Amino acid sequence: MSTSREERTAAGFLSNKMWMRFRRALIGRSINDGFLFKIALYVILLSISVMYIMPLLYMLATSFKSMSDLLDQAVRYVPRQFELQGYKDALIGLDYLNALWQTAYMSLSAAILQVISCGITGYAFARLKIPFKNGLFFIVLLAFLVPPQVLVIPLYVTYAKLGWTQTALPFIIPAVFAAGLKASLFIIIYRQFFATLPKELEESAKIDGAGAFRTFVKVMLPLARPAILLVFLFSIVWHWNDYFEPSVYLQSSQLRDFIPLSLRMDRMQEALNFHKSVTAGNNQQLIFDIYAPLKMAASVLIIGPMLILYMFAQRYFVQGIERSGIVE
Amino acid sequence: MNDRDKLEQPKLTMTAKEHRRRKRARHVMESLSGLLFIAPWLCGVALFLAYPLGYSVFVSFQQVGVKPDGSGLSYAYVGWQNFRDAFLLDNEFPVKLIDFAYRSVLTVPMSVLFALLVALMLNQHFPGRMLFRTLFFLPVIFATNEIITELQNQGQGTIPFLQQYNVTELLYSTFNASIAKTILGILDQFVIVLWYSGIQILIFLAAFQTIPKATYEAAQIDGASPWESFWKITFPAVVPFIVLCLIYTIVDLGTNALNPVLTIIVSNMGNIETGYGYSSALGWIYLTVIFVPIALLVWWSRNQQKRAKG
Repeated sequence: MSTSREERTAAGFLSNKMWMRFRRALIGRSINDGFLFKIALYVILLSISVMYIMPLLYMLATSFKSMSDLLDQAVRYVPRQFELQGYKDALIGLDYLNALWQTAYMSLSAAILQVISCGITGYAFARLKIPFKNGLFFIVLLAFLVPPQVLVIPLYVTYAKLGWTQTALPFIIPAVFAAGLKASLFIIIYRQFFATLPKELEESAKIDGAGAFRTFVKVMLPLARPAILLVFLFSIVWHWNDYFEPSVYLQSSQLRDFIPLSLRMDRMQEALNFHKSVTAGNNQQLIFDIYAPLKMAASVLIIGPMLILYMFAQRYFVQGIERSGIVE
Repeated sequence: MNDRDKLEQPKLTMTAKEHRRRKRARHVMESLSGLLFIAPWLCGVALFLAYPLGYSVFVSFQQVGVKPDGSGLSYAYVGWQNFRDAFLLDNEFPVKLIDFAYRSVLTVPMSVLFALLVALMLNQHFPGRMLFRTLFFLPVIFATNEIITELQNQGQGTIPFLQQYNVTELLYSTFNASIAKTILGILDQFVIVLWYSGIQILIFLAAFQTIPKATYEAAQIDGASPWESFWKITFPAVVPFIVLCLIYTIVDLGTNALNPVLTIIVSNMGNIETGYGYSSALGWIYLTVIFVPIALLVWWSRNQQKRAKG
């Protein structure tokens, strides 16, 4: 084998034993416990992380930049003074407090409804007798694969007829019916999770005389905490960040109407473009974007709540996927 | 004695029959309660999947306009006109679609490969791995459409050394112009492409957990090098998950609102000349384009599983 050949050639230079000891310290017994390997691992991971985080840091830095910092090429990641004007403008431009409330209300209620409705459906697919179960589950998979682009037009027509296009209802009502944003993914998560729980639990509940619904609520749901948390968190984040569907359904330009944060950026951009075209004379020569601090501040404000949520709940996000047995 | 026999005999047959009847009744009851559980979902499928799909098929063969009195929509059957127009008259859609397909062929395997490599590294035991895990998952939280658009506009998201080493000229001198342009386009958004691999990394990490440690130990005792045990143990176990991740990435990128094809579909919706009919047709063409690789992947992995069993 190749290793023994290496050793034989090495033996000419070093005594065999010393070489072995050196080699073990450097490369380790198997590839992944040596010193060199660890260093390489850290170097690679750190450099990828830096690449990952750089744009985020840039965003944060730019949001605090004053006009002179923005002009200065030397200032990239650390502004000389922390200018809050960008945030002040963004708060007004996004109508932030109002939008924050609207978005939180929409994502929270949709998430709670999806947790319940998808949970019931997922449990049924995992455990209950359903005629044509496999065929029906195929529909779940299909619903996951069908891109929303094919569905939004008819739905928009319907929602417009119902007068929902100024409200959060296009996102909340589907959640009641285990439909809506990524609902089939949540159903699959629940199904996979419930399938891992021991069957004896339900059998003993059944012997004790509990019906299917009671078994589900009293026995299975309390055990499903990891899956519930995972679905809840993902549902919130995805609803919060969803852009495509709101951009189709919500055509209202009235700031007081329901417009989630993800859309507000667009609306602000439109306003800025308008402003730019009005004051075109001296702005058009500039190669850089004088609104950069404002836009970056708005971006920070939009994703800020989700980043805070992630800070507190990252454990559940990351571990949830492994624990809930999605991959089996 | 005789009396007792008479009493017991019919009772026995009764219980057997009753048992069967009760079993059937229970079966029906169980099916009913199962149906009751999925009833909301069934309604959801009918309202939010079947109906829109059906309507969308219907509309894609129509010219949709607003009724002259403004009371609603008017439909006029035009056959395959909308689909033909998409390829023959539209000078934007086919170009963008091909561009998208071209890009996906490169970006999808790239982000899955990246996810696999990162997951392999994160699967090692070293201090701080949880921190790195948290970090690599972060983009799932904030990689939203508007943020990425903004960052792209600011020229963020490229690899820092791209300009330093004159990669552009190198690419143009080695490849023909269209390939170089695609590669450059991807490199320009390299970090952003990588941002879409957060979920895939977690899927791979979870996949590694399904391989029992004893397998590796046994291989090690038999003298397999780590390189060999990766290809002989880890890789075969992970293949189904690679397929899963490929599908997930295709769906994720395909439904991503940043994608230029979708912008066209949405903008055609509001366009009076084209309208819903035309943009539905575009939606279906787009769906077919996305579905072909997914179907191939599913078919291939099924075949593979069958072969493994048989």
